[in-house]
Amino acid sequence: MESATVAVSHADHHHGPPEANQSSRIDRQTLGILLFIVSEVMLFGAFFASYFFLRVVVDPPSWPPHPYELPVAVAGMNTAILVSSSFTIHYALESIRRGNRNGLKLGLVATWLLGATFLFIQINEYVHLGFSARDLSFGSIFYSLTGLHGAHVFVGLMLLSFATIRAFRGHFGPEEKDHLGVEVPGIYWHFVDIMWLVVFVTVYVL
Amino acid sequence: MAAAIKNPGWWRGLFGAVAFGAFGFGLVIALRAISDLPLYQTEQTGYPHVIVPAITAPLGFLWGFGCFDYWLRWAAGLPTIPDDHSQHGAKSWKDYFKFNTDHKVIGVQYVVTTFIFFFLGGLMAMLIRAELAQPGTQIVEAATYNSLFSTHAVLMIFVFVIPVFAGLANYVLPLMIGAPDMAFPRLNALSFWMLPLAGILFIGSFLAPGGAFDAGWTGYAPLSTGAPLGQSFFNLGVQFAGASSIATALNFLVTIITMRAPGMTFWRMPLLVWANLSTSLLVVAATPFIAGVQFMVLFDRALHTNFFDFGAGGDVISYQHIFWFYSHPAVYIMMLPGFGIVSEVISTHARKPIFGYRLMALALIGIVVLSYSVWAHHMFVAGMFSWLRVPMMITTLLIAVPTGIKIFSWLGTLYFGKIHTYSTAMLFALAFIVTFTIGGISGVMLGMVPIDIHVSDTYFIVAHIHFVLFGGSVFTIFAGVYHWFPKMTGRMYDEKLGRVHFWGTLVGTWGTFIPMHWVGMDGMPRRVADYAEQFGNWNLMISAFAFLLGAVQLVFVYNMVVSWRFGPKAGANPWRANSIEWQVSSPPPIFNSTEIPRVVGGPYEFGIPGAKHAIMAGEGTEGAEVPAGEKSVVGTSP
Amino acid sequence: MYGRLPIVKMLLVTIALTVVISAVMVPINWNGQGASTAAPKIDHLLNVMIVLSSFVFSLVMVMLFYALWKFKAKPGDESDGEPIHGNTRLEIAWTLIPTVIVLFAGGYSWKVLDDIEDPVKDHLTGSVFSQQYAWSFAYPGKDYVWSEGELHVPVNRQIQFKMHAMDVIHSFWVPEWRIKKDNVPGITTTAIVTPDKVGTYQLVCTELCGFGHATMRAKVVVESPSKFKEWVDGLEQKLPEPYMDVLKEESVTNPPALGAGGA
Ligand code: HEA
Ligand code: HEA
Ligand code: CUA
Ligand SMILES: [Cu+2]
Repeated sequence: MESATVAVSHADHHHGPPEANQSSRIDRQTLGILLFIVSEVMLFGAFFASYFFLRVVVDPPSWPPHPYELPVAVAGMNTAILVSSSFTIHYALESIRRGNRNGLKLGLVATWLLGATFLFIQINEYVHLGFSARDLSFGSIFYSLTGLHGAHVFVGLMLLSFATIRAFRGHFGPEEKDHLGVEVPGIYWHFVDIMWLVVFVTVYVL
Repeated sequence: MAAAIKNPGWWRGLFGAVAFGAFGFGLVIALRAISDLPLYQTEQTGYPHVIVPAITAPLGFLWGFGCFDYWLRWAAGLPTIPDDHSQHGAKSWKDYFKFNTDHKVIGVQYVVTTFIFFFLGGLMAMLIRAELAQPGTQIVEAATYNSLFSTHAVLMIFVFVIPVFAGLANYVLPLMIGAPDMAFPRLNALSFWMLPLAGILFIGSFLAPGGAFDAGWTGYAPLSTGAPLGQSFFNLGVQFAGASSIATALNFLVTIITMRAPGMTFWRMPLLVWANLSTSLLVVAATPFIAGVQFMVLFDRALHTNFFDFGAGGDVISYQHIFWFYSHPAVYIMMLPGFGIVSEVISTHARKPIFGYRLMALALIGIVVLSYSVWAHHMFVAGMFSWLRVPMMITTLLIAVPTGIKIFSWLGTLYFGKIHTYSTAMLFALAFIVTFTIGGISGVMLGMVPIDIHVSDTYFIVAHIHFVLFGGSVFTIFAGVYHWFPKMTGRMYDEKLGRVHFWGTLVGTWGTFIPMHWVGMDGMPRRVADYAEQFGNWNLMISAFAFLLGAVQLVFVYNMVVSWRFGPKAGANPWRANSIEWQVSSPPPIFNSTEIPRVVGGPYEFGIPGAKHAIMAGEGTEGAEVPAGEKSVVGTSP
Repeated sequence: MYGRLPIVKMLLVTIALTVVISAVMVPINWNGQGASTAAPKIDHLLNVMIVLSSFVFSLVMVMLFYALWKFKAKPGDESDGEPIHGNTRLEIAWTLIPTVIVLFAGGYSWKVLDDIEDPVKDHLTGSVFSQQYAWSFAYPGKDYVWSEGELHVPVNRQIQFKMHAMDVIHSFWVPEWRIKKDNVPGITTTAIVTPDKVGTYQLVCTELCGFGHATMRAKVVVESPSKFKEWVDGLEQKLPEPYMDVLKEESVTNPPALGAGGA
């Protein structure tokens, strides 16, 4: 069946469900993504719990164990890149709120590029670290925490791609309900950023 | 054929599974080829060429089946197929085998699928009992026996009890709060279709070299990290089942918070809605922990990381902490929705408002909060930090308080009521109170460290598990299925057969699981295929009752299947209940009602002349003047 | 508007039922024979709990069956019950009473736990090694002699077992001692017990450890100190190398394993 015919027959006799009563100020999509983030935080929590056991409870003589080292400076720079992308996505959202379509596109593309750069640098870091996930529990938890976060950056980039494609196809508008497709990935992106700060501080700094 | 592949459905699903599976397989082989590794790694924990396809093939099926079609078009900014509701509602039985976004269809799909898994898990229980009927080896080797009880428990927990509650609530919860559907209908359908995939992975592990996973449902490391391939199927199946239940929980939460009918304040929600609200809070925040820990096991197995390898700085006990941080809340995930069902059934059949409604709701929240603080009661003898035992003991024991509030409030509800026991649902609800109290009391005993030191990992635990899970959860599931059967199918089940099922189940449960306490305290460990002579007679008796218990379940199946097809028509409100789902036709009209109902009072206002819970479409607004007894005007279907 | 309940009578029946259930259940020796100083304490705790539980259970039963007997609808009665929504005093009561009961149970358990785990100066130390699917034991003294599948201990002397698992988790349980403790690879766990009856018992593995789990047993012999000394002196075998390595790390709960394996 082609979508066109569906659309025609659909227009003929519409008998959809009654509009649901909105019983809360928050809209479904936003609440949905917030709850999803809660469960994501807990997923990270499982790995942080493991980190705690491996580092504090097992209590190896040194951490990172000799002779491994972590490139704190590179990661710090990467942190700056990711944090700045939170501002660009905010700029994109503010732009569409004011009806500035070009600002929206600019903000989205910039965010996407910053995120991709972050991911690229991180993969590059993996290649040059000199230890693998098989090297002691330290290697395992290091790669799984940063890798889990990397996977989230990747998912975030996918969501941003959707939003970007749709922005270039002329979707979205200043009305609150017309730019949920930017706002919701944006919330997720902020979460990915904040999560990185926690991962960075725990894994690299402390 | 070409058309079949183009349109979402079983054929394209099959194609997707094969294609994605082949892709995953090819990817592994290709990567190993360029890395100069042997193409097939078949050490017992390895098998990447099986594990990766076991992830990609299910995803391919979901894609082919049409779970993502709408989203992919939406994401690409293409015009989405306007919602013609062709994926909504069921006009024939065939519609139950499609990607369907109607919460009522999904509810039925859930309940039927999960009961199939219940019977498969039950069949394994029968094999377990056959093996244990006498000391020595009867029918299976020790290794196979370990696989049997592991899959038994996993099927029962992950693809029966947890999702069957999601299914029942899927059907009735949107109706109860006056919503036309769930908040995210497509996500809802996706959640359902992930479930059979999880079940297939669990059962499919029997085909793996080395047999099905056999490290118990708890899969403790390092036994699980070194176990044969089947264990990886467990690790992966849990991911699908877990993703499914997280998505459903999220859906319930958003539905309950944002889609209640006008006038439905939190304090006017039926307790089933409260129960699912609490359960969903547990699922959203606890289930990721089991996902995380099973990933770690999978990584240790397949990628040779060292989370649980003590020789390389790993920590064996951390597995148990992370696992139980999910799995204790999980036991409440398996109980709270049942509490909700029992509240509905008891109030309706006692013709009384729930006694202490607000405290009932608060007790649920109290259990949610407390259940995050008791996980280590499963580890009293595990060699964990010994200082953690006493605090965990106190919090564990305190859980008896909110649970007790619920038990006593149900009893209070019966007083000065008009108790009808003609419905099998009510019988199960009442039997639940007694049986669960016993299971809870044995739980409190386990919570006391010195007693637990003696009985931990014995049949006393097995007795506790089944008293709370069978006498608790499963009794409430039966109550729920009988209670809403007329609503779901439009037909009545046979009460006589219902009674046979009820009494058989009650006697079977007590006969099977009471003596387990005794043999456990007397020295019989759990998870053994063979045991000391002295326990032979008791075990024979246990097995006999277990077979009785199994046999009466067939009566249940017969009753359900035949009544669904041939039962007498039920009418909209056979139980004369107040909540909204009973005010619409049975089965309810495709969009639940033509207009959103208006809620004007509490859900259990029995015995108050003129009181109404909700005003349905076409009923006018002068609700207060409708005389009592005539309040259940049926919502007309379009 | 509604009648009064025979509260006093119900309470009396509850208490009578409690007495009957307790009278039947308390004399039974549920946990089997006891053979350590911990056994009577744990059994006594169990008995106290049985009495409390019978009370709770009786209360639920009396409340349920009285209601079923008294408030059952007559056939054909379509009317509703009394619209009672709650009773604050009652609700407070059934929140507080269970709280008191469980806090008492918790306090008492704590005391028993402290009692049975109280270390004394003059104790023996024994080492337990578990592996799929066998137990072995080492005795200090002359450079750790060891025995396989058979544990001997002197009567009436506190023993602290240091437990080591060589592969996966196992669990050490002698039902008559009422003592159970997991053996965890990588760490040393401890169990304290004072056997007080001479005899032969069975050590049972209670943590699933593979296909041999069900048959992973060992013989435990509790004997007089002189016999015990004789037995230890008669042991020829020295603790083998790999076990010795594990034993050396006994003092650390978690060995600094970094660099040892892996890498
Ligand atoms: C539906 C599932 C369910 C439920 C609801 C419970 C409820 C409880 N469970 Fe249970 N439990 C399991 C499922 C469940 N459990 C499973 C599957 C295992 C085994 C896992 C494995 O190892 O495989 C387990 C194991 C388990 C252990 C570990 C034992 C061990 O391995 O050594 C402990 C220890 O504390 C425990 C305690 C409790 C307690 C205190 C409750 C409480 O919530 C019970 C509260 C209820 C009541 C007490 C009854 C009603 C109350 C009153 C009438 C008020 C008055 C009562 C008193 C004053 C006592 N459970
Ligand atoms: C909801 C959960 C649930 C349910 C419903 C059950 C139901 C039953 N369980 Fe299970 N069980 C567990 C959860 C559950 N169990 C868990 C968590 C464990 C711990 C596992 C572990 O140690 O890791 C366990 C372990 C366990 C053991 C201990 C194994 C061991 O430690 O060695 C035993 C032994 O008797 C047992 C027996 C039974 C029996 C007889 C039933 C009966 O109630 C089943 C009744 C039978 C049926 C419902 C099916 C009837 C079917 C037929 C007659 C065949 C018809 C077939 C078709 C139509 C295909 N179970
Ligand atoms: Cu060793 Cu079980
Ligand atoms: Cu628990």
